[in-house]
Amino acid sequence: MAQVPPIPIGPAGVPGAVPDQLSVETTVQQERDLAQPGGAKADEFGGAPELGFWRLAVIRFLHHRVATGALIILGIIVLSAIVVPIITGDLYRIQDYRHPFKPPFQSFQHLLGTDDLGRDELARLLRGARVSIMVGVLAVVGYLLIGGTLGALAGYYGGWLDNALMRFTDIIISAPFLLVVIAVTAATGGVRLSTVIIVIAATGWYEIGRLMRAQFLVLREQEFVQAARALGASNARIIVRHILPNALAPIIVSATLGVSGIILLEAALGFLGYSIPPPEPSWGNMLQQFEQYLLDDQAYLVVFPATALLITALCINLIGDGIRDALDPRQR
Amino acid sequence: MTFYLIRRVAIGIFLLFLMSAMFFTLTRVTPGAPISVGENPRIHQATITLRLHRLGLVDEQGNPYSIPQQYVQYLGALIHGDLGDSYINNERVTTLLMQRLPNSILLLGAALLVALAIGIPLGIFAATRQYSKLDITTSIVSYVGVSIPSFVLGIYLLLIFGVILKQSPLHWGFPLFGMHTGGVDDPLDLLYHMVLPVTSLAILQIAIFSRFMRASMLEVLHQDYIRTARAKGLSLEKVNYKHALRNAILPIITLVAIAIPQIVNGAIITEGIFSWPGTGQLAFQAVVDRDYPVILGVVMLVAAGTVLFNLIADVTYAIADPRIRY
Repeated sequence: MAQVPPIPIGPAGVPGAVPDQLSVETTVQQERDLAQPGGAKADEFGGAPELGFWRLAVIRFLHHRVATGALIILGIIVLSAIVVPIITGDLYRIQDYRHPFKPPFQSFQHLLGTDDLGRDELARLLRGARVSIMVGVLAVVGYLLIGGTLGALAGYYGGWLDNALMRFTDIIISAPFLLVVIAVTAATGGVRLSTVIIVIAATGWYEIGRLMRAQFLVLREQEFVQAARALGASNARIIVRHILPNALAPIIVSATLGVSGIILLEAALGFLGYSIPPPEPSWGNMLQQFEQYLLDDQAYLVVFPATALLITALCINLIGDGIRDALDPRQR
Repeated sequence: MTFYLIRRVAIGIFLLFLMSAMFFTLTRVTPGAPISVGENPRIHQATITLRLHRLGLVDEQGNPYSIPQQYVQYLGALIHGDLGDSYINNERVTTLLMQRLPNSILLLGAALLVALAIGIPLGIFAATRQYSKLDITTSIVSYVGVSIPSFVLGIYLLLIFGVILKQSPLHWGFPLFGMHTGGVDDPLDLLYHMVLPVTSLAILQIAIFSRFMRASMLEVLHQDYIRTARAKGLSLEKVNYKHALRNAILPIITLVAIAIPQIVNGAIITEGIFSWPGTGQLAFQAVVDRDYPVILGVVMLVAAGTVLFNLIADVTYAIADPRIRY
C-alpha cells in the first residue's frame, strides 16, 4: 500500500475543508485526486509533503521486492551490454582457430569459453544483449507511436477509424504472427535489423492500440473532459493534456511487457535466420547450431544464450507486473 | 440468435477476404519470379512461359497479369477450395497441406488438451488457496512459462532428456533428432515421441490458462452470492466447485480460441526442432524457399481455423451463459 507519511492537520486559515481524521480512505482518495488534473491538491490538507502520483508509484514499486530485484538484475545486464562491448571492441568477432570450443570457467581470458570459431562467448553474449535490447526498445517505441496515436484517435473520435482499427486487430490476431513477420521480412528483401524492427513495430502495435482506445472510450465521457471542453479547450488539447496523462498507466505496463515479447520474437527470428545476419551475434542466431552443439557435448554454447534470453524476459515481465501493482494499488 | 450467427459468419468471411487480399498483395509485390531460382539457364522461353502461365502469373502470350487480375483468379480458385500450385514442389498446395495437417492437428491438439488439463485445475487450486505454497509455485511456473519461448524450452528439453539423461543409468531413451517413429501403427511409440514437443508447446498455454483461471476464480469468489452460499451453510467444496467454478470457467472458452494461433506460432519452430512433419515445418520450409502460395495457404488455413474457433467459442459461450443475449 501507499507509504504516505501521516498528514498533520493544517494550520488555521487554510481554505478548504480539513478533515478531522485522516483515514486510509482519505489517502486513497487523495491519490485518486492527484491522478487527475484539476483534482484536490495535497496542500489543501495543509502542509503535507506533496507526493505526486508518479512519486507514489515509484515508492510502491520499490517496496515490491521481487520487481526491484528484477530491475537491478536487468540494470546490470543492460549496463554491461552497453559498457563492456565498448571496452572489448572487436573481441566478439575475433576468431582464434587454435582454441575453438574452449570450455567455460577454465581461464580468465575466455570466462565463458569460446565458440566453434574460437570467438569469445561472453563478448558475443553481451553483443547479442545489445541487439535484443535495442530491438525491444525501438520496436516498443514504434508500438507506442503507432498504437498510441491510432488508439487514441479511434477511441476519441470513433467512426471509421475505430472500425478499421478493430478489424486490423482481428486480422493480426487470427494470423500466425511469426509466419507473417517472417514473410514480410523476407518480402522486403535483405534481412537487416532495421527491417526487423520496422516489421515487428508495424504488425505488433495493435495491443497497445486497443488498450489506448479502451482508455479513451472511458475517459472521454468523464466530467473533467466535459469541463475542459466547456472551458473551450480544443480537441487536440483535450487529448494531449487531459486524457493522455490519465490513460498512461496501463499503456506503460503493456509497453513493458511488450519489450519482453519482442525480445523473444526477435530471438525466434534470429533462430530461424531472419534477424541480424552473422557475424553479428544475437541470442537467437547463437542458438542456430544447437543440434551440432548438443550432439558434440558443447551444451554450454546452447545453455548460455538460452538462459540469457530466459533471464532477461523473466526480469522484464516481473518489472512489468511490479509496475502494474505500483500504478494500480486497488487491483490487489 | 440466427441473425447473430449469420452476421458473425459474414464478418468472418469478410475478415478472411481482407486477409487474403493483404497477404496476396504482400507476396506478389516481392521481387523475383518463381522460375528464376534454381532453374537451368538454357531452358526454353516457351517452357518458362508455359509454367508461369500454369502458376497463373502470365497469360498465354507471356504478358504478365497485373496483381488485381492475379488476385481475382486466386479468389476464383479459392472458392473452389483450390489454393494454387506450389512454386517448388510441383504439387497443389491443398495436397501438401492435407498431407501435413493430420500430424499437426495431433500435435497441437494434444498440446492444447494437456494445457487445459493442467492449466485449469492449477489455476482453480491456486485461487482457492490464495497465497499458499501451491499458489506461489503456480505463479512462479507461469512467470517462467510466459518468459520462455517454446523453441528455447524445446532445446532445454532436448538437452536434459536427450543429452544428459541418456548418459545416466536412468536412460529413458527419448528420441533425439529425427529418429523414426512407427507412426499411427504403433500408438505407444508415437506417444513416446510426442512427449517432448507437446511439453514445449503446452507450457506457454499452461502458464496463460492457469494465470487467467486464477484471476477469474478469485474475482468470482469475492462476489456476494458466494458469501450468501457460504452463509447458508453450504460446504466450502460445494461453493467453490459448483457455484464459483461454473461462472469462473466460462471466459476460458474465449481464451482457447485465442490460443490456437499462438500454438501455431510455437509449432512453426517446435516442429522443426523435433523433426515433426507437420504444417509448421511445411510453412517454415516454404518461407526458406520463398514458396509464396504455400505460405499463403498456411496463413489462410490458420486464419480460417481461428475465425471458425472464435465463432464456436462465442456460440458456446452464449449457450453456457444464459445471461448473454444476442
